[in-house]
Amino acid sequence: MGAPWSTTNRTDPALSGDGRLLASLIDTDGRSQVLLQDQASGQQRPLRHLRGQRNVQSPSLSWSGRYLAALVLQGDQRRVVVEDRLSGHLLQLPLPAGLQPERLSLSPDARRLAVQVRRDGQWQVQLFALEALLEPDLAGGLRVGDGGASVR
Amino acid sequence: MSDPEERRRWPWMLAGLGGLLGLGLAGGLGGCGLTPPRPLVGLNTQLQQLGGSREPALSGRWLALISRRGGREQVLLVDVDQGRPQPTPGLNRPDAQPLSVAVDGSGERLAVVRQLEGRTELVLYRRSLGLLQPLALQPPGVPRRLQMRADGRQLAVEVSRNGLWQVDLVSLP
Repeated sequence: MGAPWSTTNRTDPALSGDGRLLASLIDTDGRSQVLLQDQASGQQRPLRHLRGQRNVQSPSLSWSGRYLAALVLQGDQRRVVVEDRLSGHLLQLPLPAGLQPERLSLSPDARRLAVQVRRDGQWQVQLFALEALLEPDLAGGLRVGDGGASVR
Repeated sequence: MSDPEERRRWPWMLAGLGGLLGLGLAGGLGGCGLTPPRPLVGLNTQLQQLGGSREPALSGRWLALISRRGGREQVLLVDVDQGRPQPTPGLNRPDAQPLSVAVDGSGERLAVVRQLEGRTELVLYRRSLGLLQPLALQPPGVPRRLQMRADGRQLAVEVSRNGLWQVDLVSLP
């Protein structure tokens, strides 16, 4: 994969459901940034909101890579965010009070999100439905109800 | 600060400053919508009853995770639609410590990074066969986190080599 990152720590890989895109974290000055690449060519893919954002953790991609979910550290709090690469919007998903997210996994169809949280000193995985918030990202990059718009 | 009027004003000034700081942080993410996701309460309650859990991996209707029960951790595969764990004979062994898990979209293949007899290894489990096979990394390295393509044909693995963390893409047969 891309030579510029060959001497940098790369962690937390996440493939899109179709395997076309790869997200990972690169370490810059001790703070992690997300890198989105075309898997075959290594070419970097654009991110409107999360590119250049420091202290990103646990990236996770939907089927076509339309959605990139991640944790972003703001102050001493981690926030769950989802960048929609098709619309250019960034969605922040606030969790119920008292839940501190540590890791997440977005289902490839973007209908559900699994979040590892710390509650009462113990790790727990909790599931959330995203159907009311995100259009599904189905196999083939088809959007529900139309001919399909894919993200490049 | 001896002026009572001044003392009354301070909390409001601090609150205003906090609000500005908050807006500044949100501004760093640029035009952020704020919407709470809906918790799947029934399933979350069941997961809670299973004990502590971590390292979730979602694919299709399948949730793989590492669950802690009775003082030891094991890999668990949950059918989210049915809301219950599925049997995975031969996947867990009492002397192995799972570190990370991934699952494909059909719930057939699971990949696990685990520690066994002082070594960290990557293994692939095929549920229909109850078969566990080791996967070799080339060049050798120490795996940590991983994720699987939805069709189960490729893994992305975080690997430590010579003090550097790298990402390996591993094709699966």
